[in-house]
Amino acid sequence: MRIIVCVKQVPSTNEVNMDPVTNTIIREGIESVLNPFDTYAVEEAIRIKSALGGSIATISMGIPTVEEILRDTLALGADEGLLLTDRAFAGADTLATAYTLANGVKKLAPFDLIICGKQATDGDTAQVGPSLAVQLDIPHATDISHIESIDEKKIVCRRLTDDGYELLEMDLPALITVVKEINIPRLPSIAGIRASKKASIKKVGVNDLTVDESRLGLKGSPTQVVKTFIPSHDVDCEIITGKPEQQAATLVQRLTEKNLLDF
Amino acid sequence: MDIKIIKENCMGCEACVSSCPFGAISMEDGIAVISDACTYCGSCVDSCPAEAIELTKDEVIHKDISSYKGIWVFAEQNEGHLRSVALELLAEAQKLAADLKTDITAVLIGADVSKLAPQLIAHGADKVLLADEPFLKDFNDEVYTEVMVDAANKYRPDIILMGATTNGRSFAPRVAASLKTGLTADCTVLRVNTETGLLEQTRPAFGGNLMATIICPYHRPQMATVRPKVFKPLPTDEKRSGEIIRLHTKAPQKLRLRKLSNINAAAEGISLADADIIVAAGRGIGSAKNMHLVEELASLLGGAVGSSRPLVDTGWIPYKHQVGQTGKTVGPKLYIACGISGAIQHLAGMSSAETIVAINSDPEAPIFQIAHYALIGDCTEILPELIAQVKAIKAQNN
Amino acid sequence: MDETVKAMTTEFEEYLRDESRVVGEAQSISFPKSEEDVLEVVSLMRKSKNPITIQGARTGLAASAVPNGGHIMNMGKMNKILGARFDEKENKFYLRLQPGVLLSQLRKILLNKNFETEGWSNESKSALANFAPGQWFFSPDPTETSASIGGMISCNASGARTFFYGPTRNYISSMRIVLANGSVAELTRGGQKAKGKIFSLDTLDLHRIISNLPDYQMPNVKNASGYFVREDMDLIDFFIGAEGSLGIITEIEVILLPSPKAIWGITSFFPNEKTALRFVRALRGEKVEGADIFNKKPVAIEFFNHYALDLLRKQKEESTAFAGIQELKDSYHTAVYTEFHGDSDQELWEVVAKLGTLIGQLGADENNTWVANNDRDMEKLLSFRHAVPESVNMLIDQRRKSDPTLTKLGTDMAVPDAYLDKVMDMYNSDLALKGLEFVIFGHIGNNHVHVNILPRNAEDYKTGKELYLQWSRQVVDWGGTVSAEHGVGKLKRAFLLEMYKEYGIGQMRELKRLFDPQGMINAGNMFTFN
Repeated sequence: MRIIVCVKQVPSTNEVNMDPVTNTIIREGIESVLNPFDTYAVEEAIRIKSALGGSIATISMGIPTVEEILRDTLALGADEGLLLTDRAFAGADTLATAYTLANGVKKLAPFDLIICGKQATDGDTAQVGPSLAVQLDIPHATDISHIESIDEKKIVCRRLTDDGYELLEMDLPALITVVKEINIPRLPSIAGIRASKKASIKKVGVNDLTVDESRLGLKGSPTQVVKTFIPSHDVDCEIITGKPEQQAATLVQRLTEKNLLDF
Repeated sequence: MDIKIIKENCMGCEACVSSCPFGAISMEDGIAVISDACTYCGSCVDSCPAEAIELTKDEVIHKDISSYKGIWVFAEQNEGHLRSVALELLAEAQKLAADLKTDITAVLIGADVSKLAPQLIAHGADKVLLADEPFLKDFNDEVYTEVMVDAANKYRPDIILMGATTNGRSFAPRVAASLKTGLTADCTVLRVNTETGLLEQTRPAFGGNLMATIICPYHRPQMATVRPKVFKPLPTDEKRSGEIIRLHTKAPQKLRLRKLSNINAAAEGISLADADIIVAAGRGIGSAKNMHLVEELASLLGGAVGSSRPLVDTGWIPYKHQVGQTGKTVGPKLYIACGISGAIQHLAGMSSAETIVAINSDPEAPIFQIAHYALIGDCTEILPELIAQVKAIKAQNN
Repeated sequence: MDETVKAMTTEFEEYLRDESRVVGEAQSISFPKSEEDVLEVVSLMRKSKNPITIQGARTGLAASAVPNGGHIMNMGKMNKILGARFDEKENKFYLRLQPGVLLSQLRKILLNKNFETEGWSNESKSALANFAPGQWFFSPDPTETSASIGGMISCNASGARTFFYGPTRNYISSMRIVLANGSVAELTRGGQKAKGKIFSLDTLDLHRIISNLPDYQMPNVKNASGYFVREDMDLIDFFIGAEGSLGIITEIEVILLPSPKAIWGITSFFPNEKTALRFVRALRGEKVEGADIFNKKPVAIEFFNHYALDLLRKQKEESTAFAGIQELKDSYHTAVYTEFHGDSDQELWEVVAKLGTLIGQLGADENNTWVANNDRDMEKLLSFRHAVPESVNMLIDQRRKSDPTLTKLGTDMAVPDAYLDKVMDMYNSDLALKGLEFVIFGHIGNNHVHVNILPRNAEDYKTGKELYLQWSRQVVDWGGTVSAEHGVGKLKRAFLLEMYKEYGIGQMRELKRLFDPQGMINAGNMFTFN
């Protein structure tokens, strides 16, 4: 089994403090980490490899220091890492990102399965996975919560839907995006970190790829940000006081008055 | 594509440093320096009082998009019923169509769904593009994408709107990538800029700390997804008339993705997306064994159970109950937050609830900033009281 | 009675107990907001001859805050941070605060710098220029973060990181204390000291207390039992770990350290307890056969025995509460958690690499480790550590359903380093002999583990209590302590007597009499006043 996992480096917390005067973000010493959903993707790949053998390659697009995130995936059990890094890739929206990743994936081909985390916690669009599948002309399924079975030909998996779950089957090669239910990601061991320190992460720039440069980076991005602002909330709040018994009584009364309790 | 600092103009005021969402600007010897982390978003250009930052964009030759007209709404259906988000989008589309002086088309794909077309028209569609074939019964990313892409290439819509349901968030990017156009996910505000004629799509970024307004100036169709319950449907107008156009589709020779079956959660209660009442738990619930309080209250009120992220991560409740930026967005009539502090990512998922009740022992918890009713106290003490009182009222009424 | 002193009604029922679950009784209660309020209440109680029990956040496990009649003085409303000070030379930051400030409240402010500076002096306000969010930390780390700073001082609280940083005592630079006679003492570390074995303490109203120091010896281990006494001691130390029995703390200056730039945590799994204990000794810098000397002192060394891991495995199956905990392989017999603080990830990797080598040299496998080097992963390791006592509580709760008289039995004993193997051997063989169910976990770096007997019935409970008494005698004999961190309160007075004997307890009584001749304040904590 040849599995490719797409990963992204994101700020460790979205507890970004906003300066209300300048309407801008205060970024003070925020750590960069592996996108949390991607840790589940990496873990699933490792489990499949443990069961069926094969190899795992992890791939990311970002600035040169993203190499460390890829090295972290090697410590967990991935076999090789590839970093797409070049000024020409910068400013990419999800379409341009998927295009670039697709070209990076071609360097790791052939493959059986691509696993992505459901979404990245900085952008939260959940678009790159499906978009990448289109660029590679393979089928995809999102929100996968369990892999029932997998072999060289096909994968059977459970997808979390708005109404419950559904059972799907896809011919390989295919792409899945995974949700947290799927597994419990492991932590690296000392042995794993030791091995990853010796590994080299392949770095790929625009000159190493055969691409249509007009589809990269900002140029290749149909969407643009024109404005950013801090959202405001203006709510009239009633504080309900007293001992728990009184608070409960007052609340029930208020909600009944508003016809919110239907019985 | 280039960005540079005009050193002679730079005053060293550092306004650009804090304006950069990516931390790509630092000061060296009192002059701003931009690093490789720059994504050319242009936020710094606006922030500089000395016009010391120059962003030059390459000349790009764009194809002629003036012939793209009309607003499309994907009328997502499930088992022969329209998802309410489709009706919410039709309501919003009416405002946009008025500004653009254009019409609205609902795209309906399924098997035996033609009976839904009149409903779409009554909700504001001027036309319904109908693809009604047995092989379209179940949602299938590849098959539906082919239908939508063919129709878009033929009829050339200016805008396509889809609900950001689980299927919508999988379908929309596949369509957008196939059409090589832009897509903005999870919009909370849609507006037409009457000067430029462009759709301005506003969505939360950085976990909801920041709102970003996005445009897709040179590619068509402009695509956006909107989470359910963000917009409200309008009352129907049964007198409206509209055109139903049948799309010709052919069954795919080979399906690379096949749905085998539904495994719907066995009577686990109402789904979050549909619930009118949600009772949600946060860390203040204390421990897993207290979760039953939340479950009991939800059950008594006929509502669904929600959760903040930490409880899901710790394993006290499955992910499908998670409300928030990386979980579900909900807009119920009543949201009761128990022991939830109100991290911005959680608020992003529930702030549009009509009535918000917050129970938290920390009077400074951010959730109180958006709550309509604030109960400062231990939710493990207040919940049993609420449960007892609701039970008493129910017993009285019976 | 006036506004400040309220009659005890059902509204204040919860204040009759603390985390020990013992319920007391009282006739009145007050919630002073300032030192003036405290003085007023003390004066009133002195006149009406009512004893006072002082309370912080009531998170104690030894019933120190449980009243025995009289008046409750709850410090919960004295929860302000009053000022700040920066010492450039020492590179330390100081905060002046009231005793009711909670540890969780303090930690939050250290991260977000949301100080309410109204009423602060100009010097305090300008000191904040040397304070960036997250730059400083308060190192004492008891598990219960809802504890009050005053409470932490009263029992000299400690946590996992105390192995390296030391207990609360080391982080108090000055205090104001109201004594039973209404005098106020202001003490600074290094300011008022004993001269040899004699001490003289002056209060602000020029009241003088002179005496000899008690001459019992404190055990040379991590300790939270009995009054701190040492030749040439700082007098402020009398009041730390005194369980509120010498006076009422009204103001504190705490010492903050620069936050470590890098923190790594490692949970290592061993195939048997013997190897795990050799690992612990090696981590302490001892020469262990077959292994190189390990010369970076860990910040914490925590232990989880075979049965603790088994209990976790079992609870994981039966409840979703621990669904987030990673799978424990069958070969994982015993676990040891270590933590390191340093200046960079690079520096700490080199330490952890050596740790891996040490594990190999001891005959274990460095593949059987979980390494955390970022906040998110550290949270996972912390959840795992907290899951052990939580699973004990869950099991006891399950058992109480059929027998409500059952509670868990936990020890809090510590011995000197040389006795580590002996004490573990004693626990294991005695428990096996009596056929009792148990888990052992805790701060093994200080030879301070909690043995939790899990009684199946009333007889187990009785046998357990007998064992504890037996062990306490042996532990004291070896120069150890019966209460390394939880305090004596009212529940462990018999054990304190074991440690110091009648003579020592007598001396403690005498010391208390000097400060509180009528036995008005927190009488009953540590020893009976009469």
